[in-house]
Amino acid sequence: MKITGQNTIAAPVEKVWESLLDPRVLVATIPGCERLEETGENAYAMTVSAGVAAIRGTYSGACTLSDLVPHESLTMKLQGAGAPGTIDAGVAVRFERAGDTTVLSYDADAVVGGMIGGVGQRMLTSVSRRMAAEFFGNVEKAIAGVLPAAPTADAGRVASAGDRVETRGETPTVFAAPQRSASDDRSFLTGVAVGGALVLAGAIVGGILGRRR
Amino acid sequence: MTTRMMGAKVARVEDDRFVRGHGRYVDDVAPDALHAAVLRSPHAHARIRSIDVDAVLDLDGVHAVWTYEDLAPLAPAMGEPLPLLIPHPTLTHGRTQYALAKDEVNYVGEAIAFVVADDRYLAEDALDRIVVEYDLLPAVVGIDAARAAERLVHEDVPGNVAARMEQANGDAAAAIAAAPHTLSLDLEIERSACMPLEGRGVAARWDTDNGRLQLWTSTQTSTGVRAAVAAKLGLDLMRVDVITPDVGGGFGVKINHPWPEELLVPLAARLLGRAVKFTEDRREHFISSAHERGQQHHVEVGFDDEGRLLGLDVRFWHDNGAYTPYGLIVPIITSTQLLGPYKPGAYHVQFDSLYTNTVIVTPYRGAGRPQGCFVMERTMDAIAAYLGKDRTEVRSINLIQPDEMPYEHGLTFQDGRELTYDSGDFPTMLTKIKELVGWDEFETFRAEMAAQGRRVGIGLAAYVEGTGVGPYEGAHITVETSGKVKVATGLTTQGQGHQTAFAQIVADELGVPFEDVEITTGDTRRMPYAVGTFASRAAVMSGSAIHLAAKKTKEKALRIAAEALEADVEDLEIVDGVVQVKGSPGSGIGLGTVAVLSNPLRYAFDEASKAATQFNVGDPTKPPVAAGEEPGLEGKDFYSPPRSTFASGMHAVIVETDPLTAEITILKYAVVHDCGHLINPMIVEGQIHGGVAQGVGGALYERMAYDEAGQLQNASFMDFLMPYVTEVPTSIDIDHLETPSPLNPLGIKGAGEAGVIPGSAAFAAAIEDAEGFPITAMPISPSQLFDLRAAHHA
Repeated sequence: MKITGQNTIAAPVEKVWESLLDPRVLVATIPGCERLEETGENAYAMTVSAGVAAIRGTYSGACTLSDLVPHESLTMKLQGAGAPGTIDAGVAVRFERAGDTTVLSYDADAVVGGMIGGVGQRMLTSVSRRMAAEFFGNVEKAIAGVLPAAPTADAGRVASAGDRVETRGETPTVFAAPQRSASDDRSFLTGVAVGGALVLAGAIVGGILGRRR
Repeated sequence: MTTRMMGAKVARVEDDRFVRGHGRYVDDVAPDALHAAVLRSPHAHARIRSIDVDAVLDLDGVHAVWTYEDLAPLAPAMGEPLPLLIPHPTLTHGRTQYALAKDEVNYVGEAIAFVVADDRYLAEDALDRIVVEYDLLPAVVGIDAARAAERLVHEDVPGNVAARMEQANGDAAAAIAAAPHTLSLDLEIERSACMPLEGRGVAARWDTDNGRLQLWTSTQTSTGVRAAVAAKLGLDLMRVDVITPDVGGGFGVKINHPWPEELLVPLAARLLGRAVKFTEDRREHFISSAHERGQQHHVEVGFDDEGRLLGLDVRFWHDNGAYTPYGLIVPIITSTQLLGPYKPGAYHVQFDSLYTNTVIVTPYRGAGRPQGCFVMERTMDAIAAYLGKDRTEVRSINLIQPDEMPYEHGLTFQDGRELTYDSGDFPTMLTKIKELVGWDEFETFRAEMAAQGRRVGIGLAAYVEGTGVGPYEGAHITVETSGKVKVATGLTTQGQGHQTAFAQIVADELGVPFEDVEITTGDTRRMPYAVGTFASRAAVMSGSAIHLAAKKTKEKALRIAAEALEADVEDLEIVDGVVQVKGSPGSGIGLGTVAVLSNPLRYAFDEASKAATQFNVGDPTKPPVAAGEEPGLEGKDFYSPPRSTFASGMHAVIVETDPLTAEITILKYAVVHDCGHLINPMIVEGQIHGGVAQGVGGALYERMAYDEAGQLQNASFMDFLMPYVTEVPTSIDIDHLETPSPLNPLGIKGAGEAGVIPGSAAFAAAIEDAEGFPITAMPISPSQLFDLRAAHHA
């Protein structure tokens, strides 16, 4: 399945790149993302929980990153699996300056398997695009200071906004999402399109790793 | 004299039960059972690195969780692959899966782990907690990829070729080379599936007191499942009872056995000492049962100026999916039944059966015949177009004539017997179908429609179908002392109306009221020797066996009655359940009384039995049961034919194609059908209606949308299209021809699959006729037709 799309964020590319590489922002803005954990050089583990009705569950994902060009592009590989299905994706993400705004385009080639692949397939592409718009909207809000940054971490040290993320310690840094109110959890479609969410989330995790370079 | 039942339009007696919701299916039995669920591979091709079930072990309400490693310790044969049911010498690289995957998975849906819990909810929740690590392997999806063999499904199967088979009659290549005209065609049919509304289901109860296994399964072969379960679980056959209750559709998919769950469920029931049940859900049916139909064909044909087939050479590629449990039955049928009612001067066929990382392929109603019919009939239409002749003329000149019967094709059929047509009248059939559809008036109709800006086309297709394949079926009949007649035959019922049709046969032969006859099918306790319901064989095989068993029962009744009535057997008849001197009503004794007399008793428990006790009946100087006789008014017999009997038919369809949207509408559908003598024309017509509906599906709607990674993207009824009543012609014009089979006592041939066979061929011909360009691949959607128009008018 190919998913391509484009979103414009009302902030300059440096600011967008910076924000997208901040895991506290990401955990708070990716629909359904609960946890990000560094597992090694260019490798990350994440948990996304989403779903409504029959297609529901928690996905565990892992991703690796390559081809990092700051403020321009990155490529990531993602594998995720959960009760509702699996995803195996490659995503190319490009950042383009457009005056004071940034045009972010993504080009994903995903194999979506399991129940979501067979039953939810026909909704995935359109819903993924919609979720991308939702996500970038959240990022825009985060940049504007409307959304709170992720407050908690566990296992290792508490990471506060503005800290540089250290990854070489014995204990990995784990970022957890803030509790969301029920009214925020509005996306029926999130459940159906969780594969799409993983694609996006993967792209973003890639961004986090990019920061370390 | 009782009215003869054979040939009468008797309304199906079982429908009263079905339409009131009183059918009893596997999921209805053992309501106290634990429920099983299966973890299935989300990947089309992968190595299993590890399976972690720790998170399931302590869950409340979970009774068992198994992976491959757990099976052999429970029953050694469970560690072996599932059986390859129908081996063949050319199936050089046959492969079957394990009940639970060992090391590798080869299609999305392959069973990996098995959980038994208090209910299905818990069982599925438990599955969610199992963590499997995979190393993904590249998937081989579709015939092109399988043929290219850049990737392999099974490492040890070169070229992905499970089998290569070749048959010939004469020198086709030479005949084609010498022919005045030749044509080449490439023709393709896509993958589809049977889609019975009741999926697979199995329930088992282990009787710890008696050490017996009782298994209910939604199958087309109770005896086959019984043998497989006994072998795999290491049980004596006599300790296993398999019962097939009502089945909500089979259409072929349920002839494959044993499914993993048919072994795992009884294994769990034995281990846990509890009833266990598995009920397949719809998505599971899409990805873990079986598909069929996917084939590519290349045709070389040589013919003369009249269109006479001088040489026909067909090469085709069959997608057998990831494994070959059912052997080569489907492609063998295509390769032989492709010939239809025609007699090419020389014929050569070769096929490759290819592995792909997709769901296994086993017969789907028609079983390779829709593809063969499509190939042959498209070839006929191409020849007609090339020569500028009427399509029926080209067919007519190639038909086998009635005086050539029995006709030997010089090939070997799917049952290992010679492909010899026993009877048929194809020229009469062609005349009838032309009349029925209005073939000769069509050009007038086309002109009328064209004047209104409407586009129509007509097509027809002919087929011959080998039905009633062996090896045998049997029947056992008991007349109770009440006069009621209990009949058991071993094959199963999945909608054929056996209670009605078989009771008609018994009523006629035994001379009993139709209402007094009760038919039991698919219960190994009542008839342990049987084969199964497939290949349109039930009426021919069990119908014949029941007829023969009724005959034996009647002979015995007359022997006993003759003694009681002091009459000659030759002077007796049975009318309405009473044995009487011919033409003398009121002189006889009821069959119930004969049943009493047949079983000399020591103990009396009612008036009837009192009459049969040893002080009351029999010659005191002779043994109570005469030498060579058995107690009881019973008859048992088996029918085993030398070879299949060949039914035939021709379908014609008129379609309208929307000039703008390419929507395809059916204006008229006509069927001429010959299945020999009809037991019940109403049931046969019902079978034809259902078959035509499924043929419409195969021609215009059904396909399996696999992506390149082997993910089935339309695994639900939202996306897999089947015709509703709105897509099936509102009226199907049917005409029968009755050319009796010389191979069985009733002169009957099978009718179950017939309706579906020529669907794709007839629709392709009609759409081609409407559009004016070749249709070489089916099914076809309006979008595809739209694109074809664009390509041809570009």
